[in-house]
Amino acid sequence: MSALEPDPPRVMVLDCPGLATSGRPAAQLFDQVLTAMTAFCPGVEAVEPGVCAFGARGPARYFGGEAALAGRITAAVADLGLESRVGVADGLFAARLAARAARADTDRPVLVIPPGRTAEFLAQQPVSVLAGQDSVGQGSVGQDRAGQDLAGLLTRLGLRTLGDLAALPARDVASRFGAAGETAHRLAQGLDTRPLAVRPPAEDLSVTQEFDPPEPLAEPVVFAAKALAERMHEGLAARGLACVRVQVRAISVDGRESRRLWRHDGLLSAAALADRVRWQLDGWRVPTDGGIAVLRLVPDQVVRATGHQLALWGETVVSDRVARAAMRVQAMLGHEAVLRPALGGGRDVSEQVSHVPFGEKREPRLAADPPWPGRIRGAAPGVVYPFAREADVTDEAGDTVTVTGRCALSAAPAWLAADGEPPLPVTGWAGPWPLSERWWDPAAARRRARFQLLTGDGRAWLAAVQDGRWLIEAGYW
Amino acid sequence: MLPVLPALRELLPRGGLTRGSVVTVAEFGLLALALAAGASADGAWCGIAGVPEAGVLAASGLGLDAERTLLVPDPGPAWPQVVASLLDGCELVLLRPPAKAPPPGAKGAQGVQVRQRLEATLRRGRGVLLVVGDWPGAQVRLRVLTQGWTGLDDGHGRLRACCAQVMADGRGQAAVARTRWLWLPAEDGRVTAAEPMDIPVPDIPAADFESARRLRVVRVG
Repeated sequence: MSALEPDPPRVMVLDCPGLATSGRPAAQLFDQVLTAMTAFCPGVEAVEPGVCAFGARGPARYFGGEAALAGRITAAVADLGLESRVGVADGLFAARLAARAARADTDRPVLVIPPGRTAEFLAQQPVSVLAGQDSVGQGSVGQDRAGQDLAGLLTRLGLRTLGDLAALPARDVASRFGAAGETAHRLAQGLDTRPLAVRPPAEDLSVTQEFDPPEPLAEPVVFAAKALAERMHEGLAARGLACVRVQVRAISVDGRESRRLWRHDGLLSAAALADRVRWQLDGWRVPTDGGIAVLRLVPDQVVRATGHQLALWGETVVSDRVARAAMRVQAMLGHEAVLRPALGGGRDVSEQVSHVPFGEKREPRLAADPPWPGRIRGAAPGVVYPFAREADVTDEAGDTVTVTGRCALSAAPAWLAADGEPPLPVTGWAGPWPLSERWWDPAAARRRARFQLLTGDGRAWLAAVQDGRWLIEAGYW
Repeated sequence: MLPVLPALRELLPRGGLTRGSVVTVAEFGLLALALAAGASADGAWCGIAGVPEAGVLAASGLGLDAERTLLVPDPGPAWPQVVASLLDGCELVLLRPPAKAPPPGAKGAQGVQVRQRLEATLRRGRGVLLVVGDWPGAQVRLRVLTQGWTGLDDGHGRLRACCAQVMADGRGQAAVARTRWLWLPAEDGRVTAAEPMDIPVPDIPAADFESARRLRVVRVG
């Protein structure tokens, strides 16, 4: 390497192989990993899900060496409950291979290739590493295929390691294998010059107002909230951003804190946001001797502002008046307390209506389209119990009516006693309608036989036998 | 005046729900949902508080628009404030006061105060409060006297329609009790007035066997 060329970049790669199988949402978890990395280095490139890279030179000097830095990073990722491995080398390609070579299950899953010895490390690698390496073709799927083809071809030609490939003259490789071969040849030599595409560190867009002396009354806090909201909106607008939700945090003198997320969608004016602060403080019931010390507005889920489109058709536009009323109730009782029903499909009467918290997208949990064999047709019940009520259904002799696995009834039902109510004579009934759901999943499987029962007071009931117990699911009145 | 379904007009003194008034229904069920359905179908927002078991599917069959419905299944001890807030946004609020809270019908000063404050909010906002249960001073009170379902036999069939006798009384113009037979719901899920020949006869041995077998109505009380 000539003295005129700059030193090759030292790149550190963090690989979290267990990300996809951790059982948690992978994208969110990886975002947490990236955020944790910014504590060590402000510019981090997300290479692919589970893999990120950054320039190691500066941070390594600060944290006392590459090995020490790598140790701190694996510890930080372990705090998130993830296993990880770290590789350091000259260039992204070699660093990724080093990270893959580091054993994740060992005590120190770190492999540092000393400066200048990257070519030596690469020479020992099999050519198969060129397959599935998006740094071969800078990321696109089509060229990844080219990398696989190339690796297979090189193996058949007897070039088993990257060292074998690197030993060939560059001109011959280029004429025989084309552009992909040329790139692979450069990589095999350790000449990986692609700069890292780092993402800028997340900016803190929250705004804070401290009250000194603490403010015992709600009104001045609400007034300050309006100015604070304007500041937050200016900060977001200057960057072309909007937030989906905003978190309002109020901290009292004695350190207690009220946090609540409010739907924003870039639609709330400063005055409207101040209203939310008022409702939140009303609902909090701060003791009067305390007072508010700090008010903080934190934009949550920041997205690019693309303008807001009003509903064209299909979805009713929620008027301001209704939205204010619903949000005031949410401020008193919580986000989940105000619901909007969405009609969908399902076999059970309770499944067919989904309840969506106000402010969220109103769509049913189960689509209405697929056929739902086994759903009870005919009149819909006016009363649908959120939790089925226990009941006793007996025959003329006073014995509980049972249903066999083949849906044979022990006797005709004669009396129905809902929990806590006197028994009613059964004057008509229909059933049993068997329903076997999710038989392939032992944990979720349910077998039920359902009945419609008519009682002497003119009311009708939807009851079911499950595991030998009678349950009332709905009432027709 | 908030509109109601055509079949219910004759039960109400002025053919609809007077804005700023309280209307009660003795028990929660299809009648309460049907009363709200007319206004909702006409474009009003409707709040349902304290009724976690409201059957929205049946309600939407009666005409209630699920898109313009807010549900507050558990308004908790602060229910008067919750209802007042809902009345700011909704033209009609269907409320069943929580059983544990001091009932608005209680003789105690607290119940009276809560009631009067809500009634004042109601008059300001020009909404209608539909209460399940008792509410002293309600302008109109409705209840189902008898009902009978068709379509079910011993061991087969399925529920198809329900013929119900509904009575309304109250104060002022509504002081004269009115009684109507309704299909609640009819076979298509809507509410229609029952023709005299549909009305079931009491289940006495000498009665017309055909309709008695079909309906099997038992008079309550």
